[in-house]
Amino acid sequence: MFTPHPRHEEALFYLLAAIGGVVSAIGLAAALYMEHSGHVVTGMNNQIVWGLPHVFAIFLIIAASGVLNVASMGSVFGRVLYKSRAPLSGLLGIAMLSGGLAIIMLDLGRADRLMVAATHFNPTSVFGWNVILYPVFYGLVGVYLWTMMERRMNPYAKAAGLATFVWRVVLTSGTGSIFAFLVARQAYGTALLAPMFIIMSFAWGLAVFIIVQATMYAWNGMTLPPLILQRLKNLLATFVAATLYCTAILHLVNAYFAKNIAFETFILFNSEFTGAFWIGQVLIGSLLPLALLFHPATRARATWVNVAALLVIVGAYFQLHVFIIGGQAFPLDIFPGYDVKSSFMDGAVDHYTASLPEILLAVGGLGIAFTMTIIGVRVLHFLPQDDLAEIEAAGSITD
Amino acid sequence: MKRYVMSIDLRRCVGCQTCTAACKGANATPPGIQWRRVLDIETGEFPDVQRTFLPMACMHCANPPCEKVCPTRATTKRADGLVAIDYELCIGCANCVMACPYDARSIVHEAHYAYGDTPMASEAARFDPDRIGVSMKCSFCVDRIDLAERTGQIPGVDPEVTPACVNSCISGAMEFGDIEDPESSVSRLLAQTQHYRMHEELGTEPGVYYIWDQS
Repeated sequence: MFTPHPRHEEALFYLLAAIGGVVSAIGLAAALYMEHSGHVVTGMNNQIVWGLPHVFAIFLIIAASGVLNVASMGSVFGRVLYKSRAPLSGLLGIAMLSGGLAIIMLDLGRADRLMVAATHFNPTSVFGWNVILYPVFYGLVGVYLWTMMERRMNPYAKAAGLATFVWRVVLTSGTGSIFAFLVARQAYGTALLAPMFIIMSFAWGLAVFIIVQATMYAWNGMTLPPLILQRLKNLLATFVAATLYCTAILHLVNAYFAKNIAFETFILFNSEFTGAFWIGQVLIGSLLPLALLFHPATRARATWVNVAALLVIVGAYFQLHVFIIGGQAFPLDIFPGYDVKSSFMDGAVDHYTASLPEILLAVGGLGIAFTMTIIGVRVLHFLPQDDLAEIEAAGSITD
Repeated sequence: MKRYVMSIDLRRCVGCQTCTAACKGANATPPGIQWRRVLDIETGEFPDVQRTFLPMACMHCANPPCEKVCPTRATTKRADGLVAIDYELCIGCANCVMACPYDARSIVHEAHYAYGDTPMASEAARFDPDRIGVSMKCSFCVDRIDLAERTGQIPGVDPEVTPACVNSCISGAMEFGDIEDPESSVSRLLAQTQHYRMHEELGTEPGVYYIWDQS
């Protein structure tokens, strides 16, 4: 296990913070370049209007909501061992949401008009709801952190945690509903997407939490108690399995409707997205992590649990890539039952390759989340402190 | 109450794309952006196969999905049935492009002209920096419709206030007018023919009617 020498610890912190800052700055520069040149410098076009930045942004936004599940397990559902982890999960939630929002806002065709979304609010637009959903999320998590960190506010922590729990369920339902309400596209337009996004958020958020927690423990020369490792890996396995189940149901239901069979054939068997789905999403992102989390030789070892969490995050990328870009690449069913073609890509499968500015913007969002996290855990001392004696004395892991 | 609609007689359309060219000329859309296009569809079974041409553009729906999803109310439905975009309010999020069942919307990302960096006179006259980075689509030549309000002319009757595509059609396949006026040419034509609207099952109530036979 790598543990920095105390003399080098501070220097390493500043180095990591600087790297995060540089990556964030490069992302910002890429956004400025795209703003100046227009989105012609991206791989996006008239058919694929949401590309790699959206994949990264939506991952960060969904995971930001999901990572707060750790806090909710402690505050709302009274699980003692999660309570000490609640502050870290709150910080990660704010950091990842900031990274995701930065990407999505800077990728707008007219990012300079962002305030228009607030001044001309459209209540029928789920996309527009974000003007309310995100600021309130920040506010609630901020209050939640306050109630946890200041002793005189502790009595209000449960209420703040409950409010945060409810709000993040609404927020993630909103993210799923943006796609669920796109009735014209074969890939989307199903009510299943809202609950599915919530399940995905649980899995991805917990995977991120496990990685960050492992890094912090290693940094401080600590070892995660086996009881806690077991609980976290069981929870992760449950969420990964649930996500895989939802994925299977989504495609089965979709394939049941004759109008969607061509699209399902495209994604599952006959396109550039087929490998990403079966190998990236199903094998790397679901089956391998589940095998690692359940196999007797790996399930009790922190290293393999961390590997499983990393694979879940890699699988999340493939899942969103297939879902967002694959869903747009397949042509709209303009004239059902007939083959349609024109000089303007009608009836044709489109292809998308992310350009360098897009990649830099997307990675810049990760940089923002990373920088905020590393500074936050340094300044606020959010390292989970477990009182195993208290847990064992209680004879249970619940209050 | 008015509702301007368009009818397209599929028996007359020959796929010449004159409407597409007229639209580009009238609205100065940049290369790669077509507010109007003509689909080429194979119908029938071998050996009795035919080609059917289907002009497509914004359907100016009575219940437009693009209006619902627009986060800034940049897309609105006017009292006369036209679905309009306020370019100064659009933030270019592309949510409407995703929501439109007719692939009618585009996002323009740069000032680009038919012959490179130098605009033609028509392009220079119509250039609007507010149209860069935002969503755009067929407007039913809204400036002409608005002109009709000021001059008392009748869209669909007077060419000056009729959409460019309708004026240009070489076979007279397209008609335009107020469907709420039973005496308008489009109302009378629809009363005499069998027709359908695209993706009616989605409940969008499109404002473009495709005529395929006599009543």
